[in-house]
Amino acid sequence: MAAARRRVFATGMGLVSPHGGDPAEMFERVYAGESVIRKIRSGTPEFGSDVLAATAELDPTGIVPKAQLFVMDRVAQFAVVAAHRALTSARLLADNRGPAGAGVYLGCGLGGSHAIQDAYRVYYERHTRKLKPTVVPLIMANAAAAHISMRYAMRGPSLTYAIACASSAMAIGEAFRAIRDGYLECALAGGAEAMLNDGSVAAWEGLGVLAKEHADGPAASSRPFARDRSGFVLGEGAALLVLESEEATRQRRGEPLAEIVGFGAASDAYNLTQPVADGQVRAMRAALSDAGLATEAIGYINAHATATQAGDKAEIDAIKTAFGEHAWRLAVSATKSMHGHLVGAAGAIEFIITLLALRNRRLPPTANLTAPDPECDLDCVPCKGRPAPKLEYALSNSFAFGGSNAVLIGRRL
Amino acid sequence: MTSYPYIAQVLIKKYDIDPEAIRPEATLTDLGLDSLSIAELMFDVEDNYDLDIPDSRMEFTTLGEAAALVDEYIKLKGG
Repeated sequence: MAAARRRVFATGMGLVSPHGGDPAEMFERVYAGESVIRKIRSGTPEFGSDVLAATAELDPTGIVPKAQLFVMDRVAQFAVVAAHRALTSARLLADNRGPAGAGVYLGCGLGGSHAIQDAYRVYYERHTRKLKPTVVPLIMANAAAAHISMRYAMRGPSLTYAIACASSAMAIGEAFRAIRDGYLECALAGGAEAMLNDGSVAAWEGLGVLAKEHADGPAASSRPFARDRSGFVLGEGAALLVLESEEATRQRRGEPLAEIVGFGAASDAYNLTQPVADGQVRAMRAALSDAGLATEAIGYINAHATATQAGDKAEIDAIKTAFGEHAWRLAVSATKSMHGHLVGAAGAIEFIITLLALRNRRLPPTANLTAPDPECDLDCVPCKGRPAPKLEYALSNSFAFGGSNAVLIGRRL
Repeated sequence: MTSYPYIAQVLIKKYDIDPEAIRPEATLTDLGLDSLSIAELMFDVEDNYDLDIPDSRMEFTTLGEAAALVDEYIKLKGG
């Protein structure tokens, strides 16, 4: 006999994002269609590249003790600042401590990539084997999760999910299940990524998936579902949710912001970088089945849509297959058009946007969708956000290199 | 002590140690440094003076002892 399933609420949100650190303000800016993508110089004036990026502002003052900074890469600082904001918004921070038994479920694609670049630079440029003793603790992928757990004395499981672009969606899904199935009362779940250093940027350039600057300027360069889309724009930041069981929320009189009702994961088992609709369809169906919902219940999908030619088309095909006739009635939008691709934090910031869309009953647009690809012919909320007065359930897709697909479903409360 | 002021400066700037607490007889542990912080501190000091102090010599408890060890290697290098 299956154990009783408990309800799981999101009771707090924390951000360090290209649209700032306040979720409500971030949502308004995204709803208004504001892209914060710009052109930055990566590397040095002599040896580097002008790249499109969505950078996040980091100010750890007052949150991360100064004496800890030397052992924290930018990604860990992002994570701790977002954790602080999430715990504060949930009213769960007391005397610098979070809930004692809470878990940390964090997605991260690359780990401490600034530290690894700095260390290799010393090694190759100075031709020395003498590297800082902090290099390993700075670069290890689980450092960010560990810092959150230590900083807020949260002693539940501290886990790191490295599933490229699906990392944080998978982390939220796993935390949701752990709480729903009674293993945990509370978790901080989401992701963090900080890899806008020149070594990493050069590697992404080599892969050939980055967007070219659009004639209308850098802000117009991430163009999901558009005929002239040319790839994605890297972003950075951290996004965390506080997830709590219904019992724990009620006991402390916390305020539920939205309910998490479904999680589905499935793999393409096909190709490392080339997506196919099949795995995505199975992940969406698994999430719907997990939530016990018919396709008709879903009113909005926050698409993975990175604005690559192959990826957006595969996702639209997958939505059509998974939702049948209803695919033509629901709305799909791609907010990467405005905040870029946060990789290990992408699923989390997009699920936060999805939950805020439910809460506000307003759909954020796909920016720059002036000339849609005829093959991306669903209602992709072009250019302008709009009210959705009947919205009850919304879904967020995250599809990773490696063919790992994660789908989360939220419910309005 | 040649290196003492530099060590004190790193302790203040990087580890946010109260300047009042920094005395030659203070132990690094008393100042709140864990083993990783001490290793990083000595790395910075060696890097600053371009020294290579063998691990086997890294035995000290007080700030004064650490500075004396560093000074010994500065002298060796100079000679």
